[in-house]
Amino acid sequence: MQAATASDRSPDAEPVPFAPVSLAPVPFALVARVGNALRLASVDRVAIAQGLAAGMTLADARARCPTLATCPADPVADARELDRLLDMMRHFTPMVALDAPDGLILDISGCTHLFGGAQALARQARSMAGYSSRPGFGTNAMAARALARHGIGAEAGATGDIRALPVAALDLDDGALAALRRAGLRSIGDLARRPMGMIAARFGEQAVTRLRQILGEAPSPIAPRRPAAPIQAEARFPEPIARTEDVMDVIEDLLGQAARQMEARKLGGRRFAIRLLRSDGARQGLAIETGQPVRDPAAILRLLRERIDTLADPLDPGFGFDAVLLAVPLVEPLAERQQAMEGEEARAGEAHIIALIDRLGIRLGPDRVRRLQSRDRHIPEGAQAFAPATQAKPHPWPATTDHPPRPLLLFDPPQPVAVIAGVPDGPPQRFRWRDSLHEVRLAEGPERIAAEWWRRRDGHQPGGAGRTRDYYRIEDKDGRRYWMFRHGLFGEEADIRWYLHGLFA
Amino acid sequence: MAGSVPINAMRPAGRQAPAADTSFPAIARGHLHEIHCTVPDRAAALAFALSQSVAQGTGAVAGAIFALRAARRQRLPTLFCGDGLALLGIDPNRLILIEAGSEVEMLRAGLEAARCPGISMVLMESEGRFADYDLTASRRLVLAAEASGATILLLRGDAEQRSSGAQTRWSIRSAPSVPLEADAPGLPTIEAELLRCRSGPAGGRWLLSWDAEHGCFRDRDAGKQDERSPVPGAVVSFSRLPTDAGGDGQRQVA
Repeated sequence: MQAATASDRSPDAEPVPFAPVSLAPVPFALVARVGNALRLASVDRVAIAQGLAAGMTLADARARCPTLATCPADPVADARELDRLLDMMRHFTPMVALDAPDGLILDISGCTHLFGGAQALARQARSMAGYSSRPGFGTNAMAARALARHGIGAEAGATGDIRALPVAALDLDDGALAALRRAGLRSIGDLARRPMGMIAARFGEQAVTRLRQILGEAPSPIAPRRPAAPIQAEARFPEPIARTEDVMDVIEDLLGQAARQMEARKLGGRRFAIRLLRSDGARQGLAIETGQPVRDPAAILRLLRERIDTLADPLDPGFGFDAVLLAVPLVEPLAERQQAMEGEEARAGEAHIIALIDRLGIRLGPDRVRRLQSRDRHIPEGAQAFAPATQAKPHPWPATTDHPPRPLLLFDPPQPVAVIAGVPDGPPQRFRWRDSLHEVRLAEGPERIAAEWWRRRDGHQPGGAGRTRDYYRIEDKDGRRYWMFRHGLFGEEADIRWYLHGLFA
Repeated sequence: MAGSVPINAMRPAGRQAPAADTSFPAIARGHLHEIHCTVPDRAAALAFALSQSVAQGTGAVAGAIFALRAARRQRLPTLFCGDGLALLGIDPNRLILIEAGSEVEMLRAGLEAARCPGISMVLMESEGRFADYDLTASRRLVLAAEASGATILLLRGDAEQRSSGAQTRWSIRSAPSVPLEADAPGLPTIEAELLRCRSGPAGGRWLLSWDAEHGCFRDRDAGKQDERSPVPGAVVSFSRLPTDAGGDGQRQVA
């Protein structure tokens, strides 16, 4: 026996944030843009009662029902939610298949007695899902699906006569359906009484196939989605082991097993977690992460040794370890690469460097091994960011030809300096920094960089935008080149400070 | 904004390694080199060091430069600026920045990086005495560099010279640049002094300015004497400036 459930994302379970609070239920619909018009994508029970239907334009619907509350439809979120429901339905049967876009098919053969019968199972499943739904029961998947989607009184769980269903349950294209209706064939039963050859000739091969599936004369298999088995390995010992080297040998063996599992599925691990169970019940965990998916046991073992070295107190075996468990909670696709004839050396070098970054990241901490990344901001210190090198993927650095040169080193934070400028808003003439006076020989500027007013709360108000910076490239008498800015415009701010923000080569 | 055009010119891609570095004691690959500077001249010293790296290959980490420093020993809180690096022809993606907790940790990480094949350059920044850097540590670095072919550069800010296994020892200072129009600061200019060289005479001093066309530092005076266009590919055609009398012999420390 199979049960199909068609569920709608409707507000029965989901509170609508802006629905007016009133005693009378408010009709609700999800709206999608189809072509150039806004149309109802799905409607709730109240809306159906008021005569609205999916596919209607929003203007028509509003004319019929001015109190209609709407939300934009989000098919991606719907699909994700349906996936979640599918996982939830594994509680009832291991055979759950997706019936896109809004249905699930559960094969409940042999499972019903566990939940007190098919109807009780459906009740539990529907209350667990939480949405309004239409269950249907059938002896095969297509019949159950047709009953759930087209059966009359499906709200309570249709088990009715398949032959009474309308021909729309065949899910044919519009032309074939219209032809069926013109021929006066209203129900599946009408069609089933005719010879199959005639139906195939007039309404297409598809009509016969669907009909035979619904009647149970042809198989209608479902493709249940199975959960991916987690990649894990474990070793249990009759006698506890205590030596760290023995433990490492066991871990290497487990890593080899996990590598074989991953190889068969073309995966590589990004995170490896080891649990050591001590005979006195204490548990210890070791976890490492890598920048690239790997499955080479030797490489992972090297990283694990790094991790053990960084532990504040080394592995304490106590009276010995009973069992060692290995899990790979985070995996990514990793295809086996063919050995190339050329460029093999460069690629090997690259692999060495990635392994080195992982190793240093584990020893020093991932925040200590970093890479520069550009940001699309024009404030100099915001235009770049440092990201952990194990996670950051290198992006091409944007070409910078639209602004004057930037220094090689930036001060973080900018260094305050005392400056004497010739005219109040002119370039500096001499400045005092780190207890020495610097005479400015050459100066270029200003390059004016405004504050990012759109990031501030009162940025659009006069005076709320923050201080504008005027940057100067200057060279002093010793030949050192600096990047210096005046914080604030002369005349706007009472107290104007200067800061050194970088060193040029 | 005067003069923003020439300095923005990027280094032409695919520059080859210096072809003939046997006669001249330039920064040779696969060796350890020390660069001394004062703290405010660090940008100049870093520019000199980074300009010695050669990008090779393609891919995520091709021509990787590992820049290491000890977090606590920083008198001036500076960061690398990606746009500034790009102006010197260094793709910021090549740079892996490592902040070690202590100088010993930095040496250890630097040594490990130097042993890793495929790395273009290991650049370690230190300030002050750096007591852990002794003859043994430097010899280890030399052996690692020779094995892997990586260039190791050790930047020593405000430090005394110390005997080590380094191939060359340089002192780098910022130098006044040739002004661009409207008295704007010109292209990066540095004064490099060779304090020590293992396989040649030491004591030369050169005034180098950035050559935006070829993406390297070039002797500023050599261009005036020799109007021929320089051969692309050669990095530095240094010529000597007159130095203090007898400087050659006295400058050798180790």
